[in-house]
Amino acid sequence: MSLLPLFQWMASVPFFQGTWSDYLGPGLNVVHLLAMVVFTGALLIVDLRLLGGVLKQHPVAPIARDAQPWLVGGFLMLVATGIPAVMATAMTQYRNPMFWYKMYFLLAGIIFTFTIRHRVARADEARLGPIWPKVVGLVSIALWGTVAASARLIMLL
Amino acid sequence: MDLRGAFAWLDVNLPGSVYLRESLFGFPILLTSHVLTMGLFLGLVIMMDLRLAGIGNRRTTFSDLQRALFPWQMGSMVLVTITGLALFYAQPLHYYGKAFFWIKMALLVVAGVNALAFHFTTYRSADTWDTPASVPPSAARVAGIVSLAVWAGVLVFGRLVAYNWLTYE
Repeated sequence: MSLLPLFQWMASVPFFQGTWSDYLGPGLNVVHLLAMVVFTGALLIVDLRLLGGVLKQHPVAPIARDAQPWLVGGFLMLVATGIPAVMATAMTQYRNPMFWYKMYFLLAGIIFTFTIRHRVARADEARLGPIWPKVVGLVSIALWGTVAASARLIMLL
Repeated sequence: MDLRGAFAWLDVNLPGSVYLRESLFGFPILLTSHVLTMGLFLGLVIMMDLRLAGIGNRRTTFSDLQRALFPWQMGSMVLVTITGLALFYAQPLHYYGKAFFWIKMALLVVAGVNALAFHFTTYRSADTWDTPASVPPSAARVAGIVSLAVWAGVLVFGRLVAYNWLTYE
């Protein structure tokens, strides 16, 4: 099934056409970027802890619990600004391979973060052993780093 | 030579600058590296500031968080600065004419002064106020909120440099 009709429909929504959309795009980009750094911070503080790079004397679970509202809040704001930003430039996005790389890694990132990573960050650390938390932290950073890099490259390559 | 003259001189005389500006992949890779290292740096600064402002990460003390994140913040600051300087190096005159670029630079200075001022005043008495779950005193919270706002400004104006608004010759 092709997603082309969906993107053609998005490109036809009058709300995103006309002069004022010249300001809508940049406005959405700015808020998207602000949400991105909040999300990234909440992600990294836990990933770096899982890797043993920060706060080694502190258990992971309380750090993850503190970070969770910023992670989820940042994520929801990213989605809320990302969807209209795509709608405002639907066909450009559709034709750009970087956009699709971003979407594939985004899907993988969402599934990984809210299943495996969520459990590992709250698990009994003695039972996990030293290897798994590091693997999870590394995979998380690699997945979301790829999302961010391919996102930035959409309009450049 | 005035400032604009200096930028114009840099624009044609920096070795490799034109190559960087015109290359198919050089500039995109540089810009992407700047965004990634920015995310690393600002993400960790925000996590620390939220604790300082008393609105996040309250299960850890501010001092523990600050000490743990500091080497990562400094390392990523070096990387984001290098990639930023390289972007500037690629097209100095382009940035000279952008009001948003200069606002961003001014805000960077404010962010630095705010961090140093806090470090050498309120942070000195951290022993007396910094306990788990505590809300820091108002001077510390103000420093945290100012930092969050100023860094948000740096990010917003940094992004807006890409558009043509308020661009002069």
